[in-house]
Order: sequence, then structure tokens, then C-alpha cells
Amino acid sequence: MLNTFQQASHPILPDATRDEASRQEFAKSFKGFIQSTLLPGLTPIYNGRVARAFEKEVGRAPQDRRDIRRGMVKDLYFQHYAAMNRIAQELLWESVATSVDRQLPELVERAKALSAASKAKLEIPEGFVPPRYVTALDIHCMPGGYCSEVTADDIAVGALYDRGVYLYSMGYTGPDNDDMGRSVCNYLMRNMPDFKPKRILDMGCTVGHSTLPYKELFPDAEIWGIDVGAPVVRYAHARAAGMGCEVNFAQMSAEETTFPDGHFDLVVSHILLHETSGKAMPRVFAEAHRVLAPGGLMIHADLPPFDLMDPFTQFILDNETWYNNEPFWGAMRDMDQFALAEKAGFDRAAARFDTAPMAVMEFAGGHDGYSQEAAEGVAEREFTAGEFAPGGGWEVFIAHKAETKALAA
Amino acid sequence: MTEAERPHMIRDAKGKRPEFYDAPGLDHAMSMIMVLASELAVLRDRLDSAERVAKANGIDLAAGIEALELDQAALETRETWRQDFLGRLFYLARKDANEAAAAESAEGYQQAIEEIAEG
Repeated sequence: MLNTFQQASHPILPDATRDEASRQEFAKSFKGFIQSTLLPGLTPIYNGRVARAFEKEVGRAPQDRRDIRRGMVKDLYFQHYAAMNRIAQELLWESVATSVDRQLPELVERAKALSAASKAKLEIPEGFVPPRYVTALDIHCMPGGYCSEVTADDIAVGALYDRGVYLYSMGYTGPDNDDMGRSVCNYLMRNMPDFKPKRILDMGCTVGHSTLPYKELFPDAEIWGIDVGAPVVRYAHARAAGMGCEVNFAQMSAEETTFPDGHFDLVVSHILLHETSGKAMPRVFAEAHRVLAPGGLMIHADLPPFDLMDPFTQFILDNETWYNNEPFWGAMRDMDQFALAEKAGFDRAAARFDTAPMAVMEFAGGHDGYSQEAAEGVAEREFTAGEFAPGGGWEVFIAHKAETKALAA
Repeated sequence: MTEAERPHMIRDAKGKRPEFYDAPGLDHAMSMIMVLASELAVLRDRLDSAERVAKANGIDLAAGIEALELDQAALETRETWRQDFLGRLFYLARKDANEAAAAESAEGYQQAIEEIAEG
């Protein structure tokens, strides 16, 4: 498959000179090459070389992802694979940071103007302290993380994220980076056509890329995107305004929002949970339950748990924990989300994992680089652990808040 | 506000970078190679752009390049460039061979330091 996907422009997306664009394309192509060509080699390397060497050294076969890792880190093929993954990630951010840096003052001014012209709310409270799990390390090696500010009214890391995450996903998330939100919307449309939420909360929304499809599906709903990073929230507000969407954004933690009890009919998140922590994740579930109205839905689109996978797959996925500044990536997959949901007050029997089909085919033919062939190549491929996303769809965890509290017996 | 004074992006991600290779320096060398590969791709894109822009303006540069016959002077210029380039690429091999020829050694270098210190 020739990946020719191109990001769609919008008024606050940083532009790129031809050379900057070529560097960014190279980083995207390099990631694609690693996943299509270097990644599959890990299986024969492990089976044919590393597992045997481990058994010879330890006296038993590797049993879990830790054993596999112990053997693999000594193998030169794996060293190349892991080093190239890291380097690709660094080249990606560097290629975008250079480009954003060149136009930073103009972008800041443009974001201010776009936000000022929007009727939607933008709330950045004084003295908000972001949680340690997003500030201890710069997650996925993005320089500055989600919260760093280098100037007043800063949107720098928002711009960096919007362009960078497009390259990271190699365009699989669509010209507007919104495939995850779009996939959950499609899931709702197909499975719950009568569900019409009046208020929707998107937790950990970063630049609001996954938030906007909800406005498209439910144009009359009041929608809020919240995130702990002020620059990404500002950027999200300007981005939505620039794209003609009236969506509210606020700097707020998903662990403790300022919304009243029972305010929302739908609470969603997209790849948020794995960037929280062991203590925060249960609090996010509890807060979702609190702000949901009776009968409301909580949907988290994130990574599937490890217990559904073989140890080698677990090992591949856990590389992100070790090499990409994703401290909670592995541990999150060991969390029992059913138990968390039950503890938060959701009905355990009504909670489930399901697949929200990727929306990539919807872009085919109508957007730059989204040829029918390339889109099919993404949607119909067999998923290999270590690739950006499964072809079939995103794993979603869905829990329902009971209509009314059961009466005490 | 000058370019140096104005706010700039943060360029490095917080969090200790892992090392992947056993050989010292190889992590750096591999990343430098990939940066160079990236710049090579940028240059290749730029040449492709030049051909496309020329074509849009009525000059089929790509076809002209394919049809170009190199005369003797051009052949000599190019071969000279390639040999010079390879020489630069392998300057450490040249140095190594020269050291062997001159019987230079680390011990000899150390000895020179000591001798010169004494006068």
C-alpha cells in the first residue's frame, strides 16, 4: 500500500515550507516503513534466535512479556527496530517543531483572533496545576508535553500536537485527525440510532480533533472538551472556531471537573486513559459517573487490555512504555476496567468492550491523498501489534449509568 | 523583539533517553545517519519539484536529463567528483593506512607528549 494521505488545512494549522513538508513526509514514511517492513521481522528473530538463546541461558522457555523483553534487548535486530522507532519519533517532532517555531508569534495572534470571534466558551482558570502523570515525562516524546508554555496565550504545543499526531498516525486518522471521534459517532449511529444526547463531554480532548465529530452528529448538543493542558485547550478552541464549530473548551482535569452532577448524557474519551495513572484512572471513571445523567453513557476509546493478548504481542506493545515516554501504557492494560466501572457506580453487567469501526473509508476519494486504494489498504489489513491502529476498528469500553437508582429492598 | 528574544519551541522531550546499542556512540551515530537520510529525501523531493516546475513552464527537464549525452569533459568532471567524494568519505581509512605506513601508534603519541613536555 502506498500511503499518500495528506492532512487537510484549517485556519490555525501551522503551514510548512517545501523542505519542512519533505522532512515531515520523511518522518511519516519512515514510521510506515518500520511498521510494514522492520516490525514483521521481529517474529522470526524471536522464534528462531532469541527464544532459543533465552532457553539455553535460563533453562526454561520465556513465559511472559518480561522474559521476552529480557531476551530481545540483546538482539541486534531488535536494537535496530527499537532505535529506529525512537529516532522516527524524534525526527517527527523535530520536523514539526522547526516549522511551528518559525511561525509561532503569528500562530499565537491568529489563535487569539479566531477564539475572540467565536461564541463558544473558552475557560482557562488561574492557578490550575496539571497532574504529575502528564508533567513528569513528555508523553510520547513530544517536546514540552501538553502543558508547557513559552509565551502568553501560548498555543505552541497545540500546534505541535495537531500536525505531529497526524504524522504519528500516518494519516490513518483522516484529513482532520478525527477518526477516533468519528468512529465512536459511527458506533452510536449504527447501534443506538435513537440516542440523542443534549450535552456531551470529551475528557482529555487535547486539540479537540476527536471532539468535533460529535458536533457534526449532534449539531444541537452542548459540547465541552476538557484537558489539563492550557496551550492545547486554547488551540482546540481556535481550531474549532476556524473550522466553523461552536464547541466549548476548558482547562480541567477529568478526575475532578467543575460540572454539576448529572449534567451530561454522554461522556467520552479518546486515548486518554493510558496517559493517566493508577490512581487517576478510577477517579476518571467515578467523575464520569457523577457528571452523567441517569441513563447516560460513558465511552472510552483506548487500548485493549493485555489479558486478551499473547505474551509476544504484549511485549511488542509494551515497547511504548519503555521507549516512547508512555509510563502508564503497560500498566493501564493490566487494569480491570469492569471492576473500575462497577466501583464507580456503573452496572457491571451492562459494561462491555466493543469495536468501533475505523472511519478511514469515509475519506476515500474525497480528500488529498486518500485514494480508494490507500484507504482500503488501512481498513482491510490484518493488524499486527506495533502498528499504529487495528484496521478493523478502535476498542471501546462502554458503560451505562442506570436510569434510576434501584430502590433499597 | 528580535528573533533570538522572541519565544521559541521547546526542542527536547523531558525523560531520560534509552540506549539501544551496546557499542558506545552507536545510538548517536544511527540518529545522525537517519537525519542525513531525511535531508537526502528532502533534496530528492526538491529536485523532483524542480523538474515539475520546469515542466509546468514548458521545459521537460526530466526528459532532458534522461536524453543528456555526457561528453568527455562531463565524464571527467563527474568521475573526478565521485573519486574526491569517496576520498572524503573514507578519510579515516586513508589516515589509518598512513599511520600504519609511518608506524604511528598511541604509545608513540604518548611518548611525544612526554618528550615535548621536557623540551
